[in-house]
Amino acid sequence: MDLLTEFLRRLRALFNGRRLHSDLDEEMRLHIELRAQQHAASGLPVEEARRVAHRSFGNPTVLREQSHLAWGWGWLESFLKDVAYGLRSLLRSPALTAVALLSLALGIGANTAIFSFLDAVLLRDLPVQQPQQLVLLGTGAWDGIADAYGITELYSYPFYRELQKDNSVFSQTAAVFSMTNPVYGIVSGRTRPEPMKVQLVSGTYFPTLGVRPLIGRVLTDADDRTEGNHPVAVVSYAWWNRALSRDPGVLSRKLKLGNTIFDIVGVAPPEFFGTTVGQEPDIWVPMSMIASVPPNWGSYSDKRNESLYILGRLKPGVSLAQATSDIDLLFHRIWFSYRDAHTSQNDLANLQKTHVPLTPIATGLSQLRGQFSQPLKMLMALSGIVLLIACANIANLLLARSTARAREFAVRQALGAKRSRLVRQLLTESLLLAAIGGALGIALSVLADHLLLRMVSAGGDTLPLDISIHSRLLLFTLAVTVCTAILFGTLPALRATRLDLTEVLKDGRSPGSGAAKSPLAKSLIVLQVAFSLVLLVGAELFVRSLINLNNVDTGFNRHNALVLNLDPSSIGYKDTEPRLTALYQQIEQHVAAIHGVTAVSFSSFTFDQGSWNGKVTIPGIDPSQSTAVRHNVVGNDYFKAMQIPILAGRAFGPQDTASSQKVAVISEQFAKLYFPNSNPVGRSYHIGGSNSPWGMRIIGIAKDVKFQNLDESATALDYVDYTQHPGYLLDLVVRYDGDSTAISTAVQNAIHSLNSSLPITHVSSLDEEVSGSITQQRTVAQLSAFFGLLAVFLSCIGIYGLMSYMVSRRTNEIGVRIALGASRTSVSWMVMREILVLLGLGVAIGVPVTLACSRLVANMLYGIRPTDAASIAGSVLALLIVGLLSGWLPARRASHIDPMVALRYE
Amino acid sequence: MSRDEIPPGTLYLLILKTLARHGELHGFEIADSIQRTTENVLQVEEGSLYPALQRILLKGWATAEWGTTAGNRRARYYKITAAGRKQLAREISQFNRVIGAIHRVIQPA
Repeated sequence: MDLLTEFLRRLRALFNGRRLHSDLDEEMRLHIELRAQQHAASGLPVEEARRVAHRSFGNPTVLREQSHLAWGWGWLESFLKDVAYGLRSLLRSPALTAVALLSLALGIGANTAIFSFLDAVLLRDLPVQQPQQLVLLGTGAWDGIADAYGITELYSYPFYRELQKDNSVFSQTAAVFSMTNPVYGIVSGRTRPEPMKVQLVSGTYFPTLGVRPLIGRVLTDADDRTEGNHPVAVVSYAWWNRALSRDPGVLSRKLKLGNTIFDIVGVAPPEFFGTTVGQEPDIWVPMSMIASVPPNWGSYSDKRNESLYILGRLKPGVSLAQATSDIDLLFHRIWFSYRDAHTSQNDLANLQKTHVPLTPIATGLSQLRGQFSQPLKMLMALSGIVLLIACANIANLLLARSTARAREFAVRQALGAKRSRLVRQLLTESLLLAAIGGALGIALSVLADHLLLRMVSAGGDTLPLDISIHSRLLLFTLAVTVCTAILFGTLPALRATRLDLTEVLKDGRSPGSGAAKSPLAKSLIVLQVAFSLVLLVGAELFVRSLINLNNVDTGFNRHNALVLNLDPSSIGYKDTEPRLTALYQQIEQHVAAIHGVTAVSFSSFTFDQGSWNGKVTIPGIDPSQSTAVRHNVVGNDYFKAMQIPILAGRAFGPQDTASSQKVAVISEQFAKLYFPNSNPVGRSYHIGGSNSPWGMRIIGIAKDVKFQNLDESATALDYVDYTQHPGYLLDLVVRYDGDSTAISTAVQNAIHSLNSSLPITHVSSLDEEVSGSITQQRTVAQLSAFFGLLAVFLSCIGIYGLMSYMVSRRTNEIGVRIALGASRTSVSWMVMREILVLLGLGVAIGVPVTLACSRLVANMLYGIRPTDAASIAGSVLALLIVGLLSGWLPARRASHIDPMVALRYE
Repeated sequence: MSRDEIPPGTLYLLILKTLARHGELHGFEIADSIQRTTENVLQVEEGSLYPALQRILLKGWATAEWGTTAGNRRARYYKITAAGRKQLAREISQFNRVIGAIHRVIQPA
């Protein structure tokens, strides 16, 4: 309390500083006058009285100073004075300040931007209770629906219930569907369906996470006891805000998903986005309603419909190792009880060897993480190096300037300034520079973040990542800023204040100080060159990988083809209903009639859309040897629409119907793997076991295509006709000639003329799908190229600055040389030689460092080796050229020195 | 007439005691009062009163207000506060402790 009021008084004194001084002055004046009067009254002459009064009073200036210090703001005032002086001295050399600030802003901005992504994707804890207690069964690497025996990544609902009941290590256990359901639902009181991401969760999901509702209630286990009769939903804060404009009566609103009306029972808190970073569902629905939520994925009762993640909260005191062994035991017991007639000896043997890992998920699940964690870490390193180069630059500029200011410091030291005081002054200037650079950097990072988010978001929708500026980020930037200030400020400050006073004062430009300074400055340049080389080679490797990926033969023609996604599930069509076939055929006919459309076909996949994998049984091949192949369900004209060449046999045609012999087209790789040295056309195989109803006759062989991503090797793939395999098909592929926008509008109109309520959920092109699949590689290539160029640019400024400075310091010497007959060529060679040595040293250090570093990113490259000699040679050459160019200007200036001017200079 | 420097650390004590005894005083009156009370034995470097007064204000031991002197001059009058009286008591007991100790040392055996 006392301290607080004392502080308040201090504060008042700080703001009333002038008043304080004038009061004090008046008081002291009065004192002296009264004393003088007293002396005069006792008989001293007036002059003498005043003198005595002054003498007995003491030195008013010192007293004023002491009174002032009593208030304890001395440090602040000297700091403010340093800042003001620093600002003035920065403004005195505007070019240097501008270059320094620009380098810093770019360096700090890049670091902040990358860090905000790193933080959002990798570092931030889930906003739930005690997230470090949460673990996931498996690694979270898969999503989708599987039916394989004994897998560790995805689980069925019955499996979740058994694990929940029998484990002794989790205080709570929850399950969450591994994907969000893309639903076109209708909000009560509206007619138009709106897209919403629905997440199916077990009733225990919210209680396990410890998430409390903002409004209403969250889902509980009571909503998940019996299948089909709990149509309740919790909505996200973002969706409530966006779709319902924060309607306070949200709990009386309803949602129609598919054919079922759901009551909204609660709103989740604003910070809660689910358990998967970058997914952000709009609606949470209990698993008991799984069959009612389009597109009707998964199952509540099928033990072998594996589509859930299971997560648990460790009981207090249970270690991860204990939990892992307990869960692993249970895992084996449950799977073993699931064996049936189709389970082979092989499956059981595999189960024996399988162990389920538990993954801590304090930071949540993320598909983004697998894709972006290595690139983000690498980019963080790259941007860190850029910042180091920027620091080296600024250190060099400050060194140069402090040499120029040697006289100023000498005078101040001679007048009694302590060295520590001067160092503090210089560090304040550095800090000032860094602070302004940091502020600019933050502004820049906000822009950069949005740009980056757009770059990493494949396709139209931006990823829901929270990359806003928050306290942790600001703390990071502050730390970076202070570190940079210390890094680039300390050496020059110490160097600048270590002066031989008499020498400097005698001769303002002692030649010694220039020479003394160069080893440090030169080694900074060498380091810059070495770092730049690392970044440049990295950039070249990534850019060439991207080019290689772009030039990959996809097997289909990615140009001039639209891909539309339709959602018949939201207008009541059920999966595997035969009437879907009629709907698809009708749409195909209508769209094919549009002028400019050359071929059109539905398919379940085009490219990079996941896959349906399953085992095939081929006569004459040991079933345990046959691996899973990928299946695609397509229309008659799929091969025409995609322009995939049929190498042998025929494609599907009108003769293939629901009742005729089931037929398949297989890929080259399929043929090569399972029908070596024979013509597969006309041969038969089974999809699934030999007793499955899917006995297929092969009618043709299609050229191999890329299916999941561009860098996969050829995969065994078969195509099935949708008339023989009715079900939801994701894509409508439209091959066209002419203007894509006009065709796209015409196609959408044609679909809506058939059925106006059928939602078209997404329109893109095959080309976009392909380029979307290499978003990560493209982002890395673009950013590393940017960092590489930035590094080289900064290093060039460094070389140019240092050389200009050296030339200007050696004007006199060069003048003498020229006067004594040195040719202009030899003078400029003298300068260039110095640059060459620096560049050469930089390259000599840089090449081995580059080789060591590039090996770390080998798995991020495509079609190029990390030690690619051409890339390294190219980068070295480029670096030498720009380095020499930036040194050439100062060299030219040196060779044009007029000896007379130079000699008069001093 | 010889004058003695005041023992270090007792300036606050003297100022606070003077204020406690006389009520509101301005700077010169404080100095004058100290000198007169000690019959000119204690010599305060008069100016050093003022940094001490600033510190007393900061600590909240006294408050100051501007008023006019008998000679119709503007002057700042200091007045001891409750906290100041407490501090005075502390300073006095500390002083007595020190003086007592010194006294015991120099007493003839």
